[in-house]
Amino acid sequence: MSDVALSGAYLGWFVLALPLLGAIVLALIPGEPSRALTRVIGVGSVAAAFVLVVSLFAQQLSNDAERRAGTSTLWTWVDLGSLQVDLKILVDPLSVLMMLVITGVGSLIILYSTEYMSHDRDYRRFFVEMDFFIFAMLVLVLAANFLFLIVGWALVGLASYLLIGYYHDRPSAVAAAKKAFVINVLGDIGLVLAAFLLVRQLGTLDFAEVFAKAPQGLGDGTFIAEMVALLLFVGAAAKSAQIPLHTWLPDAMEGPTPVSALIHAATMVTAGVYLIVRCNVLYELAPHMSDAVAVVGAVTLFVAATIATVQDDIKRVLAWSTVSQIGYMVMAAGLGLYSSGMFHFLTHAFFKAALFLAAGIVIHALHDEQSLDRMGGLKNHLKVAYFATAAGCLAIAGIPPFSGFFSKDEILAGAIEAGTLGKVLAGVGLVGAGLTAFYMFRLLFRAFHGPEPDGGYHETPHASGSAMAAPVVILAALATVGGFIQIPFVSHNLRDWLEPAITADPGIEAGHGQETLIIVLSLAVAAIGIAAAWWLFGSGPERRLARAQKLPRLRAFLLDQWRFDEVYEAAVVQPGRDLGDAGVRAGERGVGQGPVIAAEAVTGAGARILSRVENGLVRTYAMAVIAGAAIVGAILILAR
Amino acid sequence: MPWVTAIILLPLAGALSMLAVPPGGVVQARVHAFLTAGGTLALTAILVGLFDRDAAGPQYEDRHGWATQVGLEWTVNVDGVSIWLVALTSAIFFLAITYACFRTPERARGFLGLLLLAEAGLLGLFAAGNLVLFYVFWEAMLVPFYFLIGMWGGSDRVRATTRFVIYTMAGSLLMLVAILGTAFVGREITGQFTFDMEALRGIDFTRNESIWLFAGFAIAFIIKLPLWPFHGWMPGAYRNAPILVTVLLAAVMSKAGVYGLIKIGVPLFPEGAEYFQYHIIVMALAGIAYGSVVAWRQPTLRMLVAYSSLAHLGFVALGIMAFDNEAGQGAVLQMVNHGVVVAAAFTIVGIITARSGREDIDDLGGLANGAPWLAGVFLIVAMASLAMPGTNAFVGEFFILTGVFRHHWWAAALACIGIAYAAVYMLRLYQSSMNGPRKGADGARVEMRLRDTVVLLPLIAAMGLIALWPAAIVGATTGTVERLMAPAQIAAGRPADQIRAGVAANPPEAALPLPGDPVEAQQEVPAQ
Repeated sequence: MSDVALSGAYLGWFVLALPLLGAIVLALIPGEPSRALTRVIGVGSVAAAFVLVVSLFAQQLSNDAERRAGTSTLWTWVDLGSLQVDLKILVDPLSVLMMLVITGVGSLIILYSTEYMSHDRDYRRFFVEMDFFIFAMLVLVLAANFLFLIVGWALVGLASYLLIGYYHDRPSAVAAAKKAFVINVLGDIGLVLAAFLLVRQLGTLDFAEVFAKAPQGLGDGTFIAEMVALLLFVGAAAKSAQIPLHTWLPDAMEGPTPVSALIHAATMVTAGVYLIVRCNVLYELAPHMSDAVAVVGAVTLFVAATIATVQDDIKRVLAWSTVSQIGYMVMAAGLGLYSSGMFHFLTHAFFKAALFLAAGIVIHALHDEQSLDRMGGLKNHLKVAYFATAAGCLAIAGIPPFSGFFSKDEILAGAIEAGTLGKVLAGVGLVGAGLTAFYMFRLLFRAFHGPEPDGGYHETPHASGSAMAAPVVILAALATVGGFIQIPFVSHNLRDWLEPAITADPGIEAGHGQETLIIVLSLAVAAIGIAAAWWLFGSGPERRLARAQKLPRLRAFLLDQWRFDEVYEAAVVQPGRDLGDAGVRAGERGVGQGPVIAAEAVTGAGARILSRVENGLVRTYAMAVIAGAAIVGAILILAR
Repeated sequence: MPWVTAIILLPLAGALSMLAVPPGGVVQARVHAFLTAGGTLALTAILVGLFDRDAAGPQYEDRHGWATQVGLEWTVNVDGVSIWLVALTSAIFFLAITYACFRTPERARGFLGLLLLAEAGLLGLFAAGNLVLFYVFWEAMLVPFYFLIGMWGGSDRVRATTRFVIYTMAGSLLMLVAILGTAFVGREITGQFTFDMEALRGIDFTRNESIWLFAGFAIAFIIKLPLWPFHGWMPGAYRNAPILVTVLLAAVMSKAGVYGLIKIGVPLFPEGAEYFQYHIIVMALAGIAYGSVVAWRQPTLRMLVAYSSLAHLGFVALGIMAFDNEAGQGAVLQMVNHGVVVAAAFTIVGIITARSGREDIDDLGGLANGAPWLAGVFLIVAMASLAMPGTNAFVGEFFILTGVFRHHWWAAALACIGIAYAAVYMLRLYQSSMNGPRKGADGARVEMRLRDTVVLLPLIAAMGLIALWPAAIVGATTGTVERLMAPAQIAAGRPADQIRAGVAANPPEAALPLPGDPVEAQQEVPAQ
């Protein structure tokens, strides 16, 4: 990765600067800027960044594979003698792929928000925070060393905190924002500790140097290499909402719907996948941790999918589905299927953004109603949302030719090739695929099919305007055709594209037999899932209720989201609170200040005794003087 | 031009000039205070500009003999560590005095005069190149703070000041004994009776001497820091001082202890420092944990910030006691960072409590609605305080822990608990007051006004500058920190490639006892 390879790398700074400037300018405009101006700056800055990224992408396409990566340095951030850190960005196929999604899907989502948020009185703040979020995410993917990766990592955490807590007078939103922030700080700590370990072992934080030195400096399969991988994964798990650090994501639904779309589809949660793929060299050195990562991904995809099957809030279904889908990506990355993970990231960005924004249309039309119980028959009212949701559901369920089919099958087919563990995990992935089809079509049937709730809506749900409809249509179209980038047996454009960034790719490739087997199996489980959803929810609410009440204990367990929150509250939060309270009480009672209190008492008592001597009688003083002189004299004589 | 002397004497002259102000002459008092504090800041800025960033030793030294035979001299200078503390002191005091000029408390003359006196004391402390001078300024700065808390303080001020003075005096008496001991023991080894910090460098004390002398100094420093469990004076003083004085206590005075540790304790008594290394590291870790946990559950805004400060200073102490160049540089940077951030935090707390009339966190809420600017600034300060990556405080903490991790990975890992807790308590502070349903006061009443902006804007700008370009400060500390840390690194038996500065033999081979050596009879050694 030499500095001259990609001559346009410096453009990355402008990509970074545009959303940041947008946020700053918007924030500092005195008074209340007009909504039109807010829209222009808010959307325009990110869209302009997207145009720049496309031009970078075009430049890369015209270069040979070796000249698609480049770095650009602004200045030496700090030089400690033993450790030098530059303010430096890395533009390579991986970061450009991420940037295309972040700015592309991001600007569509922000465009959508111009209408979605039109009733909000804090219009400006929303766009400031959205632009800042895009900026933070760009820092994360553009960083050329671990220090700025951590900076981007934390800025994303801050941005998500601000947006999740956007309705800041609502206590539940404030609590959700805090939870997201604190769990993300735990992730930051993992990354920071990994960075300490890298400095200690390799003396550098620069990606290129770390990846070049790691095979010698860390060793293959050593304890240190495994520790680095583990600590990095703590960060990845917190950001990507993997078990056990996943509990913030469902609560993050407290933010406005476009925020959910941005967090889930285009930005934040994919950061963990990005990190593992970026650090593929380090994970190839840590076989045990890679396996552990894959297992965590598989467990997460399964647990989240089961929880999604019982949620009644339309956004929560989608939230858990995100956790589950990220599980697929993490599993792929853990198994060494880096480009497959990134492929799923790409298609997921399209279909998940389409699904969330379509859900936003529904919520907007029903005046902030989010419960599936009070939806039904919407396909007659909200055509755009219906078709977009349908396209999204078909894509996520893996029905050809929708995009999710290609990316999910590539992961599962590759997993079969990745040893015994891979075969087991592919099985989990298949079960998850069936569950996915089930819960997504459950959402589709409950919201858009069947009778209307309580015999009809009070007001006819109003269709959205073009600013909301256009992004949804574009994203739904991408969700439909986005998979053709990489077709089994035919092409692997994405893998070829990413090759310069994934230097340690173990090169797992599925044979034709496995590929066919997976296609057949996954279509079968998807069909079963959809059929089950139709059987349960395609009909009237009475049957629906009667069937849903079976297995009440399992249902309660799933509704409690496997009771992670309760365990954390009891095991971590409450003891910490008690400890703090005890500390405060001890401080008030003056524990540990015994010597000083004693000194105070002694001084006070001494002063009282001495003050009795000062009684104002000259003869007492004279006596004291004589006595003193006598004592001094006696000492002088005795000491001679 | 004797820059350093001028910087110390100007605020002192300003304080004395208050005597010329007639009682009730509030305007004159303000003019005097503002001009002298501003002049001091201007001189400091010039000195920072002139300062040679690559040199390791003291610069701009002013040396005037007074009673040279007994080692008493006016020796002031700056090096790569003290220059930043001088700069921090001048800047924070200038802002504090500016703020005080906007809304002067009653008895303005006395208040402003004492502030200037405290400034002179702290500047002298950070510039002192001689142990006696260091001690004089150490004690001298206590006096103005005593009166500032005792006369303008809150309800429980008498007990608070008593405790403050008992703690500090206990420490400084031990330090006095240690100072005399150093000079006497030093004379036995080098044949030269001196209190000069440079002349005392590299003296080969026996292990026992080094341990006892270090202990004498360290207790004073640790109390001043304060480090758990010697923090008993802190809650009362911080709670009862006028908020402006609390700002100064936390932002500037708390640096006296860490500065003593890095400037005197560790470099002059390397073996002693090495002996107590783990004790102090454990105390720092305990302070981080204790401060964090207790800060989380504090009922009032002010005490939450006070305990967070306890935790943050633990990080600085940790960075110094790691005897690592990077950690040391991080510690110096973090002294400045902590000063800037905690000053801003206490200022905001002062604004909120004064205008809402509420002290308790639970009595407040939803202020962001009427005060968007204050909320924005508060958010930045809160993030800097919890050392979020991307803020200035992160830079310092990162370097500290990088260095600590290299030698004691467990200590760095434990310190990370403090980072996690910091997120929890700072968010409590921010969210409870700014977010949620409106409670306590109308947001518009606490919104930033001109005087708040005048104080907070430079602080925020400094945070931004350090975050983007930490090399501005760190780059000038390299040589000095390597030089200060080298003796301890040798004592700790570090590999040669980690030690980047040499330690000259003291006495040099050719040294002879000075002819004017004072009375031979003073041979007893107080600290053995």
